[in-house]
Amino acid sequence: MRIVILSSSLYSETASAAALRIAELGYIPVGAVALRTLDHRTLLRKVGQWGTRGVTKYGRNQLFPSRKNRFPVVNNPYLEPLLKRGDRVFRNLREVAALHAFPTVVCSDQNASSSTAQLKAWSPDLILFTGGNILRKPVLDVPRLGVLNVHLASLPEIRGMSSPEWSLLQNVPVGITIHYMDTGIDTGPILQKYELPDAARSESLSDLRNRLIAFGIEKVGEVVVALDRGVVSAIPQPHDHKDNQFFVIHEFLKARAVERLVTPHQSARRFE
Amino acid sequence: MRSVDHCTQSDVNGSSIRPRGANANGTMPRMLAKALKEATGLLRAPQRVPPLVQRLVSDKIRITFEQKHLYSYSTSKRCSVETLDALLRWIVQAQRPDGGIAAYYSLLSGYSESYPEVTGYIVPTLYEFARLCGSHEAVDVAEQATLWLLSLQMPSGAFPAGLHGSEPHPSIFNTGQILQGLVRAYVETKRPEIMEAALAAGDWLVGEQQPDGSWSGPGAYQHAPHTYYSMVAWALAELSQCANEQKYAVAAERNLDWVLSHFRTSGWVDGINLRAHPNYLHFIAYVLQGALECGILLRRSDAIDAVGRPALILLRKFETNKHLPGAFEADFKNGHRFTCLTGNAQMSCVWLRLFEMTQGLRYLNAALKMNEMLKGMIPSRGAQGILGGVSGSCPVWGRYQPFRNISWGCKFFADALMLEQRLTESFVTSKLKALPCAS
Repeated sequence: MRIVILSSSLYSETASAAALRIAELGYIPVGAVALRTLDHRTLLRKVGQWGTRGVTKYGRNQLFPSRKNRFPVVNNPYLEPLLKRGDRVFRNLREVAALHAFPTVVCSDQNASSSTAQLKAWSPDLILFTGGNILRKPVLDVPRLGVLNVHLASLPEIRGMSSPEWSLLQNVPVGITIHYMDTGIDTGPILQKYELPDAARSESLSDLRNRLIAFGIEKVGEVVVALDRGVVSAIPQPHDHKDNQFFVIHEFLKARAVERLVTPHQSARRFE
Repeated sequence: MRSVDHCTQSDVNGSSIRPRGANANGTMPRMLAKALKEATGLLRAPQRVPPLVQRLVSDKIRITFEQKHLYSYSTSKRCSVETLDALLRWIVQAQRPDGGIAAYYSLLSGYSESYPEVTGYIVPTLYEFARLCGSHEAVDVAEQATLWLLSLQMPSGAFPAGLHGSEPHPSIFNTGQILQGLVRAYVETKRPEIMEAALAAGDWLVGEQQPDGSWSGPGAYQHAPHTYYSMVAWALAELSQCANEQKYAVAAERNLDWVLSHFRTSGWVDGINLRAHPNYLHFIAYVLQGALECGILLRRSDAIDAVGRPALILLRKFETNKHLPGAFEADFKNGHRFTCLTGNAQMSCVWLRLFEMTQGLRYLNAALKMNEMLKGMIPSRGAQGILGGVSGSCPVWGRYQPFRNISWGCKFFADALMLEQRLTESFVTSKLKALPCAS
């Protein structure tokens, strides 16, 4: 099976872990397309995600790493086992590409005609989306089977942004859904859904998100194998759930979502 | 305010500067005179130039650098209580010596005359603020405003259109809006003359209603029926509860049925019906607010469901674009580029009430973000009329009430912040504690 990875950045741990995972299963990617890291859109997106202070801190730590401020070897500790090969930790796609000898292409828009042309040239059976732009139809039509996405919530109940937080607040089991992408937001046919064991026993929302990402990469490998063997089929999402799109969560509700987590501290207290 | 009032629409509605439907019946010269008066305001009071320039520059910067991507929302460091205080300070300072509240503070020409309609429906906001913050000043302002309103009532029971001082002409919409204030003032003070005035206004409204439930004819703007008169139905439903008189509820329900018959399956609401004006968000939100509140009072779940559709469409537009366009064409198409801040604040109220009714957290989420966005747009410094003022449009030169801070903008945003405070407090104290852990 010919697989291409789409990534939000060459330095994406998620994309690197996904590439290593499917390579481990015998499916070496035929290529990867990543968004330019210092593109103004990416910068704006990061400002949105982390805030101006977060981006400044990240930039400062990258430029002047100190012992105190140095980032951990792997930002998402749950990805470490997936990124480790012997003593070496693969932290970016270039390193993974060099290991498995597949090409990487950097672009500023995954929907651009040049990106689409590159994807067509690779004639993939499957594209594995790990981050980047909202994909348009020309890109979605390139692979023979479709574009796979790991959504960090149960579909069709929770579509859109801040999905782990909304799952907690809406009392929907926290987990992941592996689905084909279509032109809607998380509306494509579903391949598999998995519930994260002990989801509420996370230290924080970012801890929960990290766990879900690692869990998703683990499971997407299983789905790729199942697709290759033809033992899984996609089920279209019901139309009555088309209205379940959620958006970035406000801090007030985020705080309420945190209250739904059973932190280890709370567990200990309950045990006492 | 709906800002379009029967005979003085051009006085109050900033869009009068370039109306599409202006004709030779005297409207154009009157509007030109108004525009000239506004423009020469700066010559008469040059101290208004620096704040105007400051506002123009800050709005230009804002629209140039605003973030529109999905991953973020506008945040403000100002707390809601501080903003609410600034809004109420603006309203208090806008009270004219006669007791009425000015319609607007023009960045060019200063305060307008008192405006009966806004004075009426700002009364519940003042009492609500007093209840929340223990403000005696807000109560005093509300009482003076009520006294002034009582002096304006016509023998028929109607209240006049337009700014104070213009030729009195009975207005259905203004009477409905003022009725809201009278009902609340009676609940707070129990003074019989206020109830008498409210009943007279209610009787006049019932008498003017058409057999189909709408209001049209000489008392209606442009003599045409409008779905945003659902606000009148809301006032009648409130009067019915307060006076324990069924005929007002019957009239309210007839209008509600008529309004709901104009809701398309697409979510769009027909019948806003303003000739020579776009469908400003302010009026769309009026339709939704009136129908929703009337539906809640009359226990009509179909009204709540019907309002939910357009409210969700606007919610999606807000979440995607980070603000709501100031005006739309039918089916929410071709949204204008400017933002109508009042309409945004009204939608925040609608979403908060829908959250209260349906427990839909997306409504609460959108309203919280909307309030954050609006908080960032309220000047925290400046002279009287500027500090705490809500401009008609953002940027300030947008088509809806350009270069003006409008009193009804302050009213709706204050309502939204007070609703937010009430609902978030009750959400924290009761709702989540009752829920089990996620998994």
